[in-house]
Amino acid sequence: MNASELTTISAEELKPVHLPGAIIPAPPEDSDTSIMRIEIGPAHPAMHGIVRLTTYLDGEQIVGMVPEIGYLHRGFEKESENSKWIQVIPYTDRLNYVSPVLNNIGYSMAVEKLFGVEIPRRAQFARVIMGEISRITDHLTCLAACAMEVGGFTFFLWFIKAREYLYELLEQVTGGRVTINWTRFGGNSTDFPDGFLKEVEVRLEKVREVIEEGDQLVTRNKIFIDRMKNIGVLSKEKAISYGFTGPLLRACGVPYDIRRADPHLVYDELDFEIPIGEVGDSYDRFLVRMEEMRQSISIIEQAIDKIPYGPVMTRERYLGYPDKKEVYGSIEGLIDHFKMVMEGHHPPAGEVYQPIEGGNGELGFYLVSDGSGDPVKCRVRPPCFNYVQAMPELALGHYVADIIAIFGSINMIGGELDR
Amino acid sequence: MKFKVKKVDRSEGLKEALYIPGIAVGLKHTMRHFFRNIVGKKDVVTIQYPEEERPVSQRWRGRHRLTRRDDGFLKCVACYMCETVCPAKCIHIEAGEHPDFSVEKYPVRFDIDELRCVFCGLCVEACPKQAIRMDTGVIGMAYHSRESFNFTRDLLRDAYTPNEKTKYTDADLPKPPDQQSALPNSRGIPAP
Amino acid sequence: MQLVLEFLALPFVQDVLKILFILLLFAMPLGTFMTLMERKWSAAVQDRIGPNRANIGSYRGRGLLHIAADALKSIFKEDLIPKGADKFLYTIAPFFSFMSAVAVFAIIPIAGPIGDFKFQVTDVEPGLLFIFAITSLGVYGAVLAGASSNSKFALFGGTRASAQMISYEVFLGLSLMGLFMVYGSTQVSAIVEGQGEHWFGLIPKWGVFTQPLGFVVFFTALIAETKRAPFDAPEGESEIVAGYFVEYSGMRWSSFMLAEYIAIVGVAALITTLFFGGYQVPWLYHWESAPQWLVTLLQFGKFASFTFIFCWFQIQIRWTVPKFRFDQTMALGWKKLLPVALLNTVVTAIIIVALA
Repeated sequence: MNASELTTISAEELKPVHLPGAIIPAPPEDSDTSIMRIEIGPAHPAMHGIVRLTTYLDGEQIVGMVPEIGYLHRGFEKESENSKWIQVIPYTDRLNYVSPVLNNIGYSMAVEKLFGVEIPRRAQFARVIMGEISRITDHLTCLAACAMEVGGFTFFLWFIKAREYLYELLEQVTGGRVTINWTRFGGNSTDFPDGFLKEVEVRLEKVREVIEEGDQLVTRNKIFIDRMKNIGVLSKEKAISYGFTGPLLRACGVPYDIRRADPHLVYDELDFEIPIGEVGDSYDRFLVRMEEMRQSISIIEQAIDKIPYGPVMTRERYLGYPDKKEVYGSIEGLIDHFKMVMEGHHPPAGEVYQPIEGGNGELGFYLVSDGSGDPVKCRVRPPCFNYVQAMPELALGHYVADIIAIFGSINMIGGELDR
Repeated sequence: MKFKVKKVDRSEGLKEALYIPGIAVGLKHTMRHFFRNIVGKKDVVTIQYPEEERPVSQRWRGRHRLTRRDDGFLKCVACYMCETVCPAKCIHIEAGEHPDFSVEKYPVRFDIDELRCVFCGLCVEACPKQAIRMDTGVIGMAYHSRESFNFTRDLLRDAYTPNEKTKYTDADLPKPPDQQSALPNSRGIPAP
Repeated sequence: MQLVLEFLALPFVQDVLKILFILLLFAMPLGTFMTLMERKWSAAVQDRIGPNRANIGSYRGRGLLHIAADALKSIFKEDLIPKGADKFLYTIAPFFSFMSAVAVFAIIPIAGPIGDFKFQVTDVEPGLLFIFAITSLGVYGAVLAGASSNSKFALFGGTRASAQMISYEVFLGLSLMGLFMVYGSTQVSAIVEGQGEHWFGLIPKWGVFTQPLGFVVFFTALIAETKRAPFDAPEGESEIVAGYFVEYSGMRWSSFMLAEYIAIVGVAALITTLFFGGYQVPWLYHWESAPQWLVTLLQFGKFASFTFIFCWFQIQIRWTVPKFRFDQTMALGWKKLLPVALLNTVVTAIIIVALA
């Protein structure tokens, strides 16, 4: 087989397949032109998770695309059904592994909604602070990867450096950089260590410096603007019909932010702006994320000023373990502890859906409980599932090099997409 | 609720259209990093891993350890709480009766399959005796065989220097039963 | 002794010695050194330490041994030829890249002439036109590699490389038109000679001062010609993996890489020669009693240090800017650089006529 044979594909191969979002071109009518099919992924430098984009090209122009997902499927939902409620929390760390705190919070809030409990105020503020730190790490990773793929490798490493500052903060509170397993039903497993909030401010200042530096390095560079502007444009209506949320929907100009639309935790007491874009292209998505990080920093600073003293876990015996003092000191405490561990949580029968503003969009947990100790159903609404579905629509008509600019800006996270 | 919206600035001026000013600003930043790092590694954030290790926080969840009582015996009473709560099902305990009545129950076997462990720390929270802890600060565990990751009770327990309160030494810890008759390991494969 | 001197005086022997000195002692070692320096310097830009692990016993040499380690590794690595590839073309493609990168040094003077003896392999009459001819040969390397690899990614790389390199030949030539007019020759030695003069005895008459616009266009075109960032769409490591040499392995892959780094040195040497006075040390004419050997040494030192600085500058640029998309590279060339180069030619011509 020589190169010219390689580039032609038969009409057989262009038959439509039933995959959501897939766009498959009609075979060309004249024999002078042919459509080339290349497989981008599953192992490809630009596919940062594992996903396959079967791309049909006319020259360098994309005429069709079939996204194929599921390479990182680990059976999260099935696994959850066979676990106790509390045992699902470590699994949620591994959904969106660049913003694990938000996953923890989302799942815990869903279970708390099932119980119908309110968590202590300090725990709410703590979740806001940690969640926003996590949102910054999410955006840092996304922007870094996005800029790296259009050639800004220095930008990538600077942002990863900044992310590491924040991961170390998470580690100080939770004991893990990525697999944090921090929230519990009714509060958080740990309070902030001494001097932590001071440390947060110091580190956020460092992160802010890196962000501004990266902003000047890349965002105002004409080469970068050329690569990102008017690439992967999606209209407001299309974006809504695809089920876009989060930074991608905001980039299209819709100021939809669950922190404002359905205020959870204490977000309604904090003052921040929702950044929106105009066109809905890759550049807008980049800028919206950039601005969101600055807003997150300001949210954290406000939350640090307002955080009250108090417990971080409810005293309800059906939600959390008793205090260690009681466990060691009293027989009742020990029995409660024993029952809690052995029998687990028993949320009342019912079903809930709890959305939160994840790093990447609306992260929802839909839970069904039948009153026994195990979840009957634990469904995740991953934000990037919809984005990948829209990938062919976004990429159509652009060049093959634009795939990376688009794919980088939608921030697909394999762990969350394939679950 | 009223919320504030901010439109991102995507304007482009002459400065951008000329390419060179944008590149010059970028060069200013990269050169600053370059010279600072060439002269004295002032901004370098990476570490030379095997030689130097990152200082981990006090709460870092590292390799497990089994703590001891003042008299030298294991604190663990083989209550199976950690085994129950473990989401990865990597802990295997076999309880035994200790001849000393003040001790009553102790783990004859206490195996943790560190390959399965997800280091979530739920076992530490569940333990009513503070017998299992994850504060060793051990970051990397690398061995050549899968069997080496099966940490047994005797590997997990703390080193202990006898003092005036010591009643038991390592020799007094009853030996685990013959490995031949042991339970299948965490992957369901019977022990050889 | 007499025999040896006579032997050394033979023009052929002198040419061989010059080739050996310029290529084997200057260009190749500097190019090889650049492979390590690119990693070290990029590390410094990115707040890393960079490679420092290759060792003999406990000696690490701050990463210097990586050069040897890389060479050893690529020599001993299997030289794969993919199934369905055109074996002959696939095998010879790296040599084209390598040759064209190395041949640039044939016309570059590294120090001023002593009497009849020139520190230059050959001072051909067409001079820079030779450079254009040689660099356009380099396109064969990319095209043959891309077409013969039997890989779609490589094919993309090859197509992009051919279009880009052939286009940028045009601006490469046009940007130097002004320089030819100012110094009145296409011969390299004449251009360098011309740059030895000073305005008011103070400002050296370097090409960068007489032809600032030409310098920018030439530098841009030359980087595009060597397919370095930001014009590395033919390699496009993020979308088409590694472009035209994606299927190569072992020493053949290394020769592509080495060709790239020697091309960096070539670019730096050309920039130095044409726009920064080559070996001409500014203000040296004030010191008339300087011994000849010292002058030659100073000249070589100046040439080498400027070459080194421009090598560094290219690497610094690479780690600063994002890269162009392929069609944007072409648009930049034809829509922006071409008018600028033409404008530069016209303006230079008008000024020269006006001054005359």
